[in-house]
Amino acid sequence: MEPTPATPRPSRRKARGAGITPWLFISPWILGFVFFTLGPLVFSFVMSLHDWPVVGERTFIGVENYTTMVQYDPQFWKSLWITVKFACLFVPLNIVLAFVLAVLLNLNLRGSAIFRTAFYLPSVISGVALATIWAWIYSNEYGLLNYMLSLAGLDGPNWLGDATWAIVAITIASLWGLGGSMLIFLAGLQSIPKELYEAARVSGVPPWAQALHITLPMLSPMILFTLITSIISAFQQLTIALLLTDGGPVNSTYFFAMYIYRTAFRFHDMGYAAAMSWVMFLIILALSMLVMRWSAAWVYYEGQVRKDDADA
Amino acid sequence: MKRRCVIIAPAILAATFWGGMALAQDKVLRFATWNTSPESIAINQAIVDQFMAANPGVKVQVELYGDGFDDKLTAAMGAGNPPDVMYMWNYPSYREALMPLDDLIARDGEAMNLADIPAGLMNGALIDGKIYGMPVGFTTHVVFYNKDLLATAGVAEPADGWTWTDLRAAAAKLSNPDAQTYGFAVDAKPDPFDFEQFFWSNGAEFISADGKTLDGVMNSAAAAEVLDMFGDMIKTGEAVALNIGEQTSGSDLFKAGKLAMMEGAMWNKGGIDESGVNYGVAVLPAFGDKPVKSTINASGISIAKDSANPDLAWEFVKFFSTPEAVAMRTNDLPIRTSVAEAAGMTGDPKLGPFFKMLAVSDGTVPAFLKNPEWGRIQENLSVAIEATMIDQGNAQAHLDEAVASSARFLQ
Repeated sequence: MEPTPATPRPSRRKARGAGITPWLFISPWILGFVFFTLGPLVFSFVMSLHDWPVVGERTFIGVENYTTMVQYDPQFWKSLWITVKFACLFVPLNIVLAFVLAVLLNLNLRGSAIFRTAFYLPSVISGVALATIWAWIYSNEYGLLNYMLSLAGLDGPNWLGDATWAIVAITIASLWGLGGSMLIFLAGLQSIPKELYEAARVSGVPPWAQALHITLPMLSPMILFTLITSIISAFQQLTIALLLTDGGPVNSTYFFAMYIYRTAFRFHDMGYAAAMSWVMFLIILALSMLVMRWSAAWVYYEGQVRKDDADA
Repeated sequence: MKRRCVIIAPAILAATFWGGMALAQDKVLRFATWNTSPESIAINQAIVDQFMAANPGVKVQVELYGDGFDDKLTAAMGAGNPPDVMYMWNYPSYREALMPLDDLIARDGEAMNLADIPAGLMNGALIDGKIYGMPVGFTTHVVFYNKDLLATAGVAEPADGWTWTDLRAAAAKLSNPDAQTYGFAVDAKPDPFDFEQFFWSNGAEFISADGKTLDGVMNSAAAAEVLDMFGDMIKTGEAVALNIGEQTSGSDLFKAGKLAMMEGAMWNKGGIDESGVNYGVAVLPAFGDKPVKSTINASGISIAKDSANPDLAWEFVKFFSTPEAVAMRTNDLPIRTSVAEAAGMTGDPKLGPFFKMLAVSDGTVPAFLKNPEWGRIQENLSVAIEATMIDQGNAQAHLDEAVASSARFLQ
């Protein structure tokens, strides 16, 4: 019997395999990414340089789709503006409300488990069901919301039938799904070491200052994450608007994503729709990069010593 | 939700069943429809079954695209994998992917017997002198009225030759907003295709005959008059406005006995019959002494240009046009005069008005046939209609704006 070496020498075969194994492990993701994300992405860019009807001749037109959009298509600007307005309403409210709810739940009051479930529940409801529920709530004549307002002596607007209020109505309905952000904040809150607060308390730091100097900095990575995902979802808003108002009244909720969708599937102008999708992609990319760059100024990662702190 | 299940469950069953069957068959014909109601699905299936019985060795695979018909058909065509035969109405959008049928119709002229099909039903499928589909069913538009509500209010039932002035006078008497009953309903977001009948009836059009001019056409005085009239009906309370933030349909109100008169088509009739409302049907009212016109909604079936089985597909289309198959379609109206007459429909008090509207509505050309960019222009028109109904007037300004916003689609 041959003596077994204490530490087995790596065989040549093993050495070669070591290079591939990690790749094999991530291959499902890589293949999925290449075929279902990168491929279509590149393809859509090629499409955006063509006059691409669903049926019939496809002709290369260079950047004409992009110049048309900017120069001759008022709807492009209108839809973009509506989307920006929505994002300005939705993103801050989503973060603030999710944060407030998370703080309340973190107080560990009686029944907070029930509330946690209740607040998260809308996030798992499909957009279609959500829109149906809100259509009932907003109904002018029979709606729950205006009934409640009437109890308070207020005459509620025709939420979905008024060009000014419709976008507010959609924002509120979208905010209903803030459970995801709330859970992220809650997890963040629960991971803040209690000692920090204890130390602050014995030093006589008032609660508001604790929130400002302990809670907010410790939560800043979660705030950053929520900020970026909220911006992305605000720009991609489609389902709720499509089902609740279908772009109306008088195109006041004709979101950018909806314009892209209709251009592709109603007007059969795939090239133009692809070009607009690229514009949306670039806008989201630019905003995300801005936020990331800006975040260096206010996001604090635990364990990270900031340069200025170290210098001090 | 319930309706969804009713549609989906049989679809899954059917798909599983056919999946297994198709292996044993040699020829499969794919047939895409937009049907969603169980009734229309069953009717189509019955016709398909008869075709299969008459053609052993052929399997027709019905693909229910439902509400997503355009999305799915667009995707299938874009991917180069269209169904062989499909329901069709928007011929200009899809014509490049459709097979012209003229030669086949000429070849089988006797069997097709086009003389038996009213010309108004063929017009929609006719582009640049070529026929891209055969009609299978149609509806025109009429006014449904609740006989009981009219009798209670002491309003005479509408008769042929009535006008909008008559309708408005009646609606004023019938409306009682306190009881949430209304004389008439005005849809703020109508399908413009259906709405053009009111333009035609007042001597207006959406777009010029050559499809190149909107200014002075879509925003003509006659056009604005139509929109203002409906806006005024909302203002005076003669009519309830639909689709301004509410999703209650006119048909729902009518079925609940809350609406005395409603403009509608065959697709409303089944539900009204079921509701048990004691109703009558009248032709559309005229604008003064101008000739009244109705939109003709004709469903057709077309063959994909790239069909792998063009001959079989044509046999199928031909079968759909036979008097037997036409008579089986009981949820819309028969495209063959002979079938309608044999069934006594033209003299029926509830069906006759549809045929009267068909008879007077030939010679109109819907806007979507005149300009390939109509789908986009139409969006601006829809906004003008909706804005007028919300403002309860001011149509001229809104139409002018629609014309201005549409200018870039005319080049």
